[in-house]
Amino acid sequence: MKQLKLVAALAVAFAAASTTTAALAQGAGPIKIGVVTPLTGTYAGIGQQVKWGIDLAIKEINDKGGILGRKLEAVYEDEEANPNVAVQKAEKLFQVAKVDFLTGTVNSGSTLAVGQVAERNQRLAATTVSFSDAITGDKCSPNMFRVNAKAGMQSAALVEWMVKEKPSPSVFYLGPDYEMGRSTVAAFKSAAEKRGAKSVGEVFAPLDNKDYSPFFGQIRAAKPQVLYTSVAGNDTVRFMSQMAEFGVSKGIQVVGAAGTVTAQNMGAIGKAADGYVTGAAYSPELDSPANKKFVADFKAAWKAEPDLYGVDSYGVMYFYKAAVEKAGTVDTDKLRAAMRGLAWDTPQGRKTMRAGDHQAIQDMYAVKVTGGKFQIIAKVPGDAAVGPDTCTKF
Amino acid sequence: MTEILESLQFVYGPQVANGLAIGVAVVLMALGLTIIFGLLDVINMSHGEFYALGAYLAITLVGKGLNFWICLALVPVLMAAIGYAAERTLIQRVFHHKDRHVLTLLLTFGLAIIAEDAFKLAYGPNPFKPEAPITGASEILGIMLPNYRLFLIVAGAAIIATVWVVVYRTSLGAMVRAAAWDKHMAASLGVPVNRVYAGTFAFGVALAGLSGVLLAPIYSVFPTMGKDFILLAFTVVIVGGMGSIKGAVIAGLVLTQIQSLSSLWISPVWSDPLVFGIMVIFLMVRPQGLAGRLGHG
Amino acid sequence: MAEAAGRDAVRAAVAAGDRADARGQGVLAGAFVGLSLVFAAIAAALGDTFFFRLATEALILGGVAMAVDLLLGYTGLLSLGHALFFGFGAYVSGLVLKHWSPSFWLAVGTTLGASALVGLLAGVIAIRARGVYFALITFGLAQVVFKAVFNTRELGGSDGIIGIPQIVVNFGVFSVPANSAGGFFLVTLAFVMALYAVLAWLMRTPFGRLLVAVRANEPRVPFLGFSPWIVKLAAFVLAAIVAALCGSLYPMLRGVVSPELLMFQTSGNAVIMVILGGVGTLVGPLYGALILTSLKSVIGTWTEHHLILIGALFMLSVIFLPKGLAGYALPRLRARFSRAPR
Repeated sequence: MKQLKLVAALAVAFAAASTTTAALAQGAGPIKIGVVTPLTGTYAGIGQQVKWGIDLAIKEINDKGGILGRKLEAVYEDEEANPNVAVQKAEKLFQVAKVDFLTGTVNSGSTLAVGQVAERNQRLAATTVSFSDAITGDKCSPNMFRVNAKAGMQSAALVEWMVKEKPSPSVFYLGPDYEMGRSTVAAFKSAAEKRGAKSVGEVFAPLDNKDYSPFFGQIRAAKPQVLYTSVAGNDTVRFMSQMAEFGVSKGIQVVGAAGTVTAQNMGAIGKAADGYVTGAAYSPELDSPANKKFVADFKAAWKAEPDLYGVDSYGVMYFYKAAVEKAGTVDTDKLRAAMRGLAWDTPQGRKTMRAGDHQAIQDMYAVKVTGGKFQIIAKVPGDAAVGPDTCTKF
Repeated sequence: MTEILESLQFVYGPQVANGLAIGVAVVLMALGLTIIFGLLDVINMSHGEFYALGAYLAITLVGKGLNFWICLALVPVLMAAIGYAAERTLIQRVFHHKDRHVLTLLLTFGLAIIAEDAFKLAYGPNPFKPEAPITGASEILGIMLPNYRLFLIVAGAAIIATVWVVVYRTSLGAMVRAAAWDKHMAASLGVPVNRVYAGTFAFGVALAGLSGVLLAPIYSVFPTMGKDFILLAFTVVIVGGMGSIKGAVIAGLVLTQIQSLSSLWISPVWSDPLVFGIMVIFLMVRPQGLAGRLGHG
Repeated sequence: MAEAAGRDAVRAAVAAGDRADARGQGVLAGAFVGLSLVFAAIAAALGDTFFFRLATEALILGGVAMAVDLLLGYTGLLSLGHALFFGFGAYVSGLVLKHWSPSFWLAVGTTLGASALVGLLAGVIAIRARGVYFALITFGLAQVVFKAVFNTRELGGSDGIIGIPQIVVNFGVFSVPANSAGGFFLVTLAFVMALYAVLAWLMRTPFGRLLVAVRANEPRVPFLGFSPWIVKLAAFVLAAIVAALCGSLYPMLRGVVSPELLMFQTSGNAVIMVILGGVGTLVGPLYGALILTSLKSVIGTWTEHHLILIGALFMLSVIFLPKGLAGYALPRLRARFSRAPR
């Protein structure tokens, strides 16, 4: 009898020891973060900010001892802003590099596709750039989280500011003719009309349109007080400089999406961008001690100013850290549960990850471009801006 | 009556004027393409990248403090040198092969791939835009047009006229046309055919580069800009007649007017397919285009 | 009598040459299959999924390249817009799997029929043009359709379509689930090699000879009693079907389709594979796909600017090795097999 008890005790001890060593073995190596982001192609500028933000956060976290005693390590792959490449690279990261967590996708098509890859590999992923409402809306995924603001939130902040400045304004809409361009215009339009705005015209130009002068006649004829646009990248450069060329925007308040004027194209637009107002979750000019430190550290490390994409990518690492520390493990299901409802600190303030749709709730600002800088001119609290939970998949 | 005048002034007039400005720049690009095909029988798939190279060279020169006008004069010279070198080192190698048409197409296609990535490597992925040297707008016949675009129309017309004169009224042009018509005969008459080929290619890409510089202040400069005009330029060349300068001018001006005016009635997303449709129709019905080939009429 | 003997001798020589050609091609094809199986064995032993899927993608694109070779190497038509049919096949298959029924055979069958129609429509437009004009029309067609799909919300617009289910390929006596990386790789290998076998056989039939005749001397063909137009159209439709069938496998592999499949880059890659691998060999493009995919993967991990290197390699190939690798190997193999054993 005694021998049996001894054997049983030894067995239990052995089991305990082996599971602990197994856990320790898992905990011995670094936590790998896979980043699949466009390092080449049209969005390479955004990918660069993503990389800078993540690298800075990882360095800071590692200097303070890592997460649960393990260091963080980023593995980068280029997705060329092409969902088909993103899917392949995401799988490479999950299968070959065996990353624990994935982030970095920029365009919504890639984010949606990568979310599916994450589901198939039983891992979690997050986006820090894509703002299509569908990602945390009707196309939500239980394995995809979003730490940046979605289009609906950007619209909410902008509309709030606009109706305070000009009650019942007449608005003309010009957007690029593809999914993102149209839905951004539609989201803003419906939010604006609810607050009394009048729509006096709407036109969609092809993506990569070279010359916007054919539309100026329409704009002039409509005589709007406000012009809303959702063009981006090179299209913005052309649209705004051509408007300045023709003097079309005189007397009109130009507003638009957050992605329209960014650090990447502002240099080329030059003076023509002055006066542009948008709704965004961030400006490098944000006056808080946390942000001031972040901007200084970012500039010291990369000799460039952070933008929206840089700060959100920085923030996602701290989101992950907070979640892992709360769950005590990197196990997918426990981590997902920890992430839902999690509140964590970022240079933008405190964000809360809504459990119902994996959308981060954050304060939004109306931001105006002045002399190459993004000036904050109004604020909308997170809960007011975030909008309803439309995700029904979980 | 006043309604018609008003619509002419505020609706149709501006569209025509803008179309004219764009048309002149497109004609310059198509001219280079058609000359290269007309003489060398080479489809230059990398023509758009030479257009982009011209714009990027302008950015570099302006960045070093050079005046825009100097760039306008200097860039075509640089482009000609680059084009000459490219022809001698690359195109000549496959020129005498029996599958020349396909090989030169493939070769220039490969060149285009390299060029686009090289731009990204050298200049980064973000756009640039030089300041237009002329600002402000003027009113002509009641139509508001930015001064720079007026300049484009005038300068472009002047350049096209010069090209015409050079090709059809000088002995240099005669040599080029002779080599296009019958290269062996021309060679036996003492025309340095290989140098004429390289020189013609250089001239063609210099025109493309010039177009790039001219359009940079209004269309901005970025790595994928080579694809902006390529379909339109090829359509102009096909509709106008491969190798015909007269055809390229007419087709270029007409097609850009069609694009400009059609945006009044149909959604602008259809203007590219419209242009493509015209190209297809011509290829099916009248493949030689409006006019004939260089050297052939 | 002497003439008849002379004719017979010529016919025999041609037939012997054909047999040597066929053997050479068969050797290369066999080597390719052998290589693939060795790869599969190693990857399976290592428990890999990523490289299997990457190789499957390479095979699919190799099939598209084969279609391009059919047009370029045999009919003398350079297609710069073949992504159109590849993407079309992918979308049709994806839609069938997601909205109709997750059945492999249904998806493939629907793609076969639909692509034949689309190929016919496109062919009627494109075949009118010759040589470089044909290249431009195919280029333009692909661009127009790409933009159309990009802007069509019902097809997912610029986001594409996700949520395509992982199917099980049913062969009656056994079945292979699509998410088995190794299993699906073998299914794709069999699929693509079957397409190759059909095409290779077809090229040895009178139809195949007609294609070569059209390429060599089109004005002469009517004098032989055939219409070059019909011949070219048939080749075009065939190439469209092959590309679309390969495309139909894509959503089964990745679970998503997006408009980027129709981008010029895909057409361009197919052409590069044909040139690197060997024009007019049918098996060359498969090797070309292998080379290009490996290059992209390897170079891509060192530098972001892999396109410069690949473009340079492509240009060097056009200048110095215009017949590609298989084009280099085949004549030597043919010579070996032609040496009659005496």
